[in-house]
Amino acid sequence: MKNKSQILGVFNDPDVVSTAVDELLRNNIPIKDVFSPFPLEHVWKKLNMKTRIPYATFLYGVLGTVATFAFLYWSSVINYPLIFGGKPTDSLSFVIIMFVLAILSGVIFTLATYLIREKLWPGKVVNLPDPRSTDDKFVIVIEKDMDMDEATVRQIDELLKKSGATEVNMSNV
Amino acid sequence: MYNIKVRGVLIEGNKGYHDITQDVTNPLLSKTTPKWWWIASFVTTSMLIWGIWGFYNTIAVGTGTWGLNNSVSWGFAIINFVWWIGIGHAGTAFSIFLLVLHQRWRTSINRAAEAMTIFAVMAAGMFPMIHMGRIWDGFFVFPYPNTRGPLWDNFNSPLFWDVTAISTYLTASFLFWYVGMIPDFASIRERTVSIVKKKIYGILSLGWLGSARGWLRFESAALLMGGLTAPLVVSVHSIVAMDFAAGIVPGWHSTIFPPFFVVGAIFSGFAMVLTLMIIVRKVYKYEEYVTQRHLDAIARVLTFVSLIMGVAYISEIFVAWYSNSPYEMYVFFKNRAIGDYEFEFWAMITCNAIIPQLFWFKKIRKNITMVFIISIFINIGMWFERFVIVVTSLSKTWLPSTWHSYTPTLTEVAIFVGTLGFFIMGILMFLRFLPMMAISELKGVLKETSIVKENTKSHEE
Repeated sequence: MKNKSQILGVFNDPDVVSTAVDELLRNNIPIKDVFSPFPLEHVWKKLNMKTRIPYATFLYGVLGTVATFAFLYWSSVINYPLIFGGKPTDSLSFVIIMFVLAILSGVIFTLATYLIREKLWPGKVVNLPDPRSTDDKFVIVIEKDMDMDEATVRQIDELLKKSGATEVNMSNV
Repeated sequence: MYNIKVRGVLIEGNKGYHDITQDVTNPLLSKTTPKWWWIASFVTTSMLIWGIWGFYNTIAVGTGTWGLNNSVSWGFAIINFVWWIGIGHAGTAFSIFLLVLHQRWRTSINRAAEAMTIFAVMAAGMFPMIHMGRIWDGFFVFPYPNTRGPLWDNFNSPLFWDVTAISTYLTASFLFWYVGMIPDFASIRERTVSIVKKKIYGILSLGWLGSARGWLRFESAALLMGGLTAPLVVSVHSIVAMDFAAGIVPGWHSTIFPPFFVVGAIFSGFAMVLTLMIIVRKVYKYEEYVTQRHLDAIARVLTFVSLIMGVAYISEIFVAWYSNSPYEMYVFFKNRAIGDYEFEFWAMITCNAIIPQLFWFKKIRKNITMVFIISIFINIGMWFERFVIVVTSLSKTWLPSTWHSYTPTLTEVAIFVGTLGFFIMGILMFLRFLPMMAISELKGVLKETSIVKENTKSHEE
């Protein structure tokens, strides 16, 4: 990846980015990524991006509930069936702890899944193609292959500028 | 969530994206710490030190240093515990309820409210721990394989539910808070010129990029974590209420307790947010982010919640009379409305149900000083509510020979003041070192808010 360079279209406005994405897609130019200081919902839809995190979360919730019930049942019915207050050992009030721990497992494992899928960890060193994309710029990244000829590059350049890019840069990151 | 409509102007002044980054990160990137910060932290550290003395005294000598007796076996510790947990509901109520309800005016307040939650819940957590008397045996409350039988916890006890619910609440709120800050840490990482800060915020940002897929997953994960944590707001305080309601003590044994406590928690949480945000917007000159409109919205919520509180008080009194139980009637009519604790009772009614009704007047909602004073009254009123619930019910129960009144000792007061110091210290640290407003979320609402502005302008013309 290092020896491939990238074409960066830098924009000032989220709505312009979204029309630029349309324009690029219409011309069959593959967009590698869009960096932005805040989420751009339109762009995900246009680039046809989806995430399966919600299914994972559902699974974690179910597993959390089942595991908690198994533990409560095992500890209070099988392992040490102590009767207090004349109440049955397998009590309905297990529901409360199951509910709370289902949430806990959902939250913790959703976060873990997110961090793993996104490959984030403390101390990870990253180089942004354009650091201003964490501040006030929106950056469309187009990968430039080695075999891409000058004419195509110029065409992409023009297309980006025509659709509202304030700058078009090259990057090796 | 970029395409959701906003109601009214959320960010005033002609801000650009860059201005937002600068406004929020300037205080934490500046080399000099303001003088007021040092003064405030000196005061809070002194409070904290006094609290540590109270802690030490309790652990070294025992809970005999407290004003508790055979009748009033729950005193200051439980009052303050419930009070802090109530305040700790602010963050989640604010950021998560309003997130799920797509209320975009939360954006400039949610981060600070979440920080409040973390520190308030930590302050609350100190009380059950110290209330055990033998804090070194504190791990007994967790279910773990042991040589005592193996004897497990009583999973039917509200006190154990409390342990589960509060530790879950703290964990979930903290993770949600942290996840929300990841993109902002990346903004700071890219902005700072200091090598040390770049390193620290770089580690905290976990290598955040802000790519389209990254944002998609981030939004999805954050919304799921928020949505999962939202029911905890209801469950945590319901469970705290069941610590009382599952007992048969007159004045506690009532089905209204769980909803009453949840509403009370949201009430005190919102009031504390109001208190804090009025100070923050003044000190950091954030009037353009935390606008009149924001304060107005919180005041309106408080008016409504105050009415619910009023109705809850009245229905408690009504049910006490309607039940025809002499013990219930005694608590409400002889030991609350009149009697030894009438001051506390009427302070609670006045501060919680009557004074906030002043928010009906637009003039008062617009007057920041008045709003601030009323928010302080609510904080005090909610403290009195917990005092009334705990002390009046326990002090005079069935047998007159067991009647005993309660006054807190210096050690108990010290611990309370210490937790106040801890809370304020935490907030001060947050204001100094962390992004106190969600930078990326503010940028997300900027565009709509400027469209609203243009529309109002053309409408006026």
